[in-house]
Amino acid sequence: MQSKTSFSKYFNATLFRRNLTRFWPLWGMASFAGSLFPLALLVQFLRDEDFYMWNRPLGFTEIYYYAAAYAVPVVSLLYAILCAMLVWSYLYNSRSVGLMHTLPIRREGLFFTNFLSGMAMMLIPYVIVGALCVLVSVVSGCFDAKGLGVTILAVLGLSFFYFATATAAAFITGNVFALPAVYFLLHFLAVMLDWLVCTFSQGFIFGLTGGYSGVVEWLSPTVYLENHLRVSSTYEEVFQRAELTGTGYYTGVLTSVEMENLWLIGVYALAGAALLVIAWLLYRRRRSESAGDVVAVGWMKPVFRYGVTGLAALLGGLLLYELFWRSFQEGRYYEVLPLLVCMLVAGAIGYYGASMLLAKSLRVFRGSWRGLALTAAGCALVCAGLHFDVLGVADRVPEVSRVEKMTLYTADNNYTFYPGEDEALMERVRAVHQAIVADRNYIMGTTGQEDWRSQPVIGDASFHVTYYLSSGLKVNRNYYLPISRQRLAQEGTYDNLLDSLVNSDEMKARRIHLNDARFAPTGGSVYVERQNAGYDLSSRECAALQAAVAKDAAAGAWGDYQWLDAERSEEYALSLDLSFTYTDDEGDTSRDWISISVRPGMDNTISCLKELGFITEADLVTDRELYPGDTWEMEEKFAQEMAAVESTDVIGGADGPTTVYVTG
Amino acid sequence: MIEVKNVVKRFDGFTALDGASLSVPTGSVYGLVGPNGAGKSTIIRHLTGIYRQDEGTVAIGGEDVWENAGLKARVAAIPDDWYYFLQSTVRDMMRFYKGFYPQFSMERYEKLKEVFSIDEKRVIRRLSKGMQKQVAFWLALSCMPDYLILDEPVDGLDPVMRRQVWSLVMGDVAERGTTVLVSSHNLRELEDVCDHVGIMDKGKVLLERSLAQLQDNMVKMQVVFRDGQEVPADLPVLHVSRVGRIHTLIMRMNAQEAATRLAVYDPMLVDAVPLTLEEIFIYELGGADYAVKDIVL
Repeated sequence: MQSKTSFSKYFNATLFRRNLTRFWPLWGMASFAGSLFPLALLVQFLRDEDFYMWNRPLGFTEIYYYAAAYAVPVVSLLYAILCAMLVWSYLYNSRSVGLMHTLPIRREGLFFTNFLSGMAMMLIPYVIVGALCVLVSVVSGCFDAKGLGVTILAVLGLSFFYFATATAAAFITGNVFALPAVYFLLHFLAVMLDWLVCTFSQGFIFGLTGGYSGVVEWLSPTVYLENHLRVSSTYEEVFQRAELTGTGYYTGVLTSVEMENLWLIGVYALAGAALLVIAWLLYRRRRSESAGDVVAVGWMKPVFRYGVTGLAALLGGLLLYELFWRSFQEGRYYEVLPLLVCMLVAGAIGYYGASMLLAKSLRVFRGSWRGLALTAAGCALVCAGLHFDVLGVADRVPEVSRVEKMTLYTADNNYTFYPGEDEALMERVRAVHQAIVADRNYIMGTTGQEDWRSQPVIGDASFHVTYYLSSGLKVNRNYYLPISRQRLAQEGTYDNLLDSLVNSDEMKARRIHLNDARFAPTGGSVYVERQNAGYDLSSRECAALQAAVAKDAAAGAWGDYQWLDAERSEEYALSLDLSFTYTDDEGDTSRDWISISVRPGMDNTISCLKELGFITEADLVTDRELYPGDTWEMEEKFAQEMAAVESTDVIGGADGPTTVYVTG
Repeated sequence: MIEVKNVVKRFDGFTALDGASLSVPTGSVYGLVGPNGAGKSTIIRHLTGIYRQDEGTVAIGGEDVWENAGLKARVAAIPDDWYYFLQSTVRDMMRFYKGFYPQFSMERYEKLKEVFSIDEKRVIRRLSKGMQKQVAFWLALSCMPDYLILDEPVDGLDPVMRRQVWSLVMGDVAERGTTVLVSSHNLRELEDVCDHVGIMDKGKVLLERSLAQLQDNMVKMQVVFRDGQEVPADLPVLHVSRVGRIHTLIMRMNAQEAATRLAVYDPMLVDAVPLTLEEIFIYELGGADYAVKDIVL
């Protein structure tokens, strides 16, 4: 039978007061540091050059929103763990936990009182800073109730979320030093694992690239919020006249400010509430004797042990491999056995490290063979699974019917295709992709040789294709391809298919983006080798050059992409890049550019460049003309000899394998 | 009444309490003795609601202790390593206790201020170990508890202060009927204050008796036999020692019965000598594989 108590079940004012008075240095210093922000704001506005901000509430709101969207998540992430380390510190010491659990208050009373104390410590600095900000804005006639309200909501939501996650972390561990480690691990584990999995996968699986996919970024709230909370400001150009001189000028006036994706804070706050419930459930079952343990929850101990082991095997294995084997590796793909050895060593270190932390003892070796065997099996499974590509990731070439959008980067240019408009091109891209996948052994074998790029018959190309699937998933592949003269002429090879695709009329038209409303010319650059000078292009100049290149393309003077270096010797020593802003169907924008090789015969482009004043007739020289010498002749002679190669073979010798070129 | 029944507590595979049971009558002073590591502090942490037992029941006044705030408001405890907030003064800790214990008496607090003579504005951290222990008593007694649970309470106190503290505790027992459970690894410490004693070892309470029961059950007789005769083999003695012609016999019976049994041998001298608590425990547990040495030294 439980006794009735007249005490409040959930809150004890003495404990609340005690927490605030004990830990005032933390929230006091945070308040002081935060107060510098409104004071700096005030000083800024009092300066003559910022006087224009007076009586402009939206300007203040914009500043608040920027602070709430970009500063508050990071500040709260760091500050919440400090508050949690203080209010929950009693759990980590057997003496203090003894006192608190002896007191006549139930655990829910301790939990909620301490949580509210922590929240108060989180919010006091924000309240002080907010009050000062309001004061500054009222004094300057810039008070905007809506902006303030939104900012308060954002700060409340973020503070609650971060302190709730810190509280959840506090109940997982029993050690005050482990608390920040667990907290930051929880916050950044998803992006770290994403990076690790991607890095590992791309080291094994043909065509995979990129060290980070972002698929689970939402599980790392700070990263996700920093990337998705946005301040959207709208400026309108208005004509104004200077009072003293009467001179007219255009100036941008802020007409509206919105915080985009504010709802995310609400969602994370709800997640924080769920974590708080979990923390409370953990506290109800928490054993006081877990004070000092790295992991305070019994069933989490094996998770911790093997989680640390797995992380150590992946991260440490990668590190050891980079240190000791990377320089022996041929090609860009991992060699299984050395990597497995590195993973095993790192995994064993992680396993014993975790075991020592759990046991709080160095004597953990006896009977550990089972754990080690499990670690070894896990490492071997991961390596074998990736090496043999058991999921068939490398072979995956999505059907066009499943694709919403396809982007391609190849031959120095970007392309975007949509099923309704570009189905034929998309099928051709798929055909190239399939041919690449089918020829993976040749590609990996060739690019794995150290000196393959020094052979003049071989050029190289990038083929980076991304399929945006209707399911919301993305298939992203990036290949670095050897291109040879023989294979270019041989039907069905990826070289041949890629050449036909890139040099098709449809692709040439696409490449220049003419009459494509999604691409708006924004600028670019011209570099003239003879002048040793570069120029930036305005959007107008970019549009003019785009039109000129399009005319040359229509006349057949531009658009054929030369795959082999030897065939580029006729290009002028000019570098011309046109840049565009690409706006997709959702209204998201990205930057795009085209690299234009200027050759003799591109009369429209050349005359446009001359008209714009970037070049004169004297600048129309090739690299060969500009830098004459024996090198060019030797290369040409070598290229001619190699062009006559009918077949190649490799023979063994005292100095190792030697490639033999057989000519007719 | 404090009642612990068949309590089992395991820590990562180690069994700290292995079916421990004890019973403290209301208004009594119960001494719980045992060697280091016997499980005394563990059982006390169950009684104060810090630990939750894996098996068995822990009750005070018929109520389960675990998460029973109403009951804990009537229990004050002084652990062997009393915790106070780092920068707090005696007065700060008084305010803290006052905020939790509804029966906390300021009048008692003020009276005890005279007894302990410690400046209440001093930071506790800067006090000596003995003075910190005095502060713990000061605050615990000010809570006006019905149950007082003390773990190695007088460690660090000087002899004068020990007497002072015990006199305060005994005063509470006499005036308010406070039930006291006190643990110690030193039996001599408890001899003068306890009316009930329990002995623990290896996670079990091996024996618990009232002092009267113990003294009635065992006797120490000093005997001088005629003609230098040795102790007859048929006498049921637990222990024999000899100094000159005087034999000292420890027997498991009361003094009357022992005198009758010895009279058969027509001794020159028979005298019953009072047993110390220490001796009672030594001979009660003598022969068994218990760490009796640790209890009495």
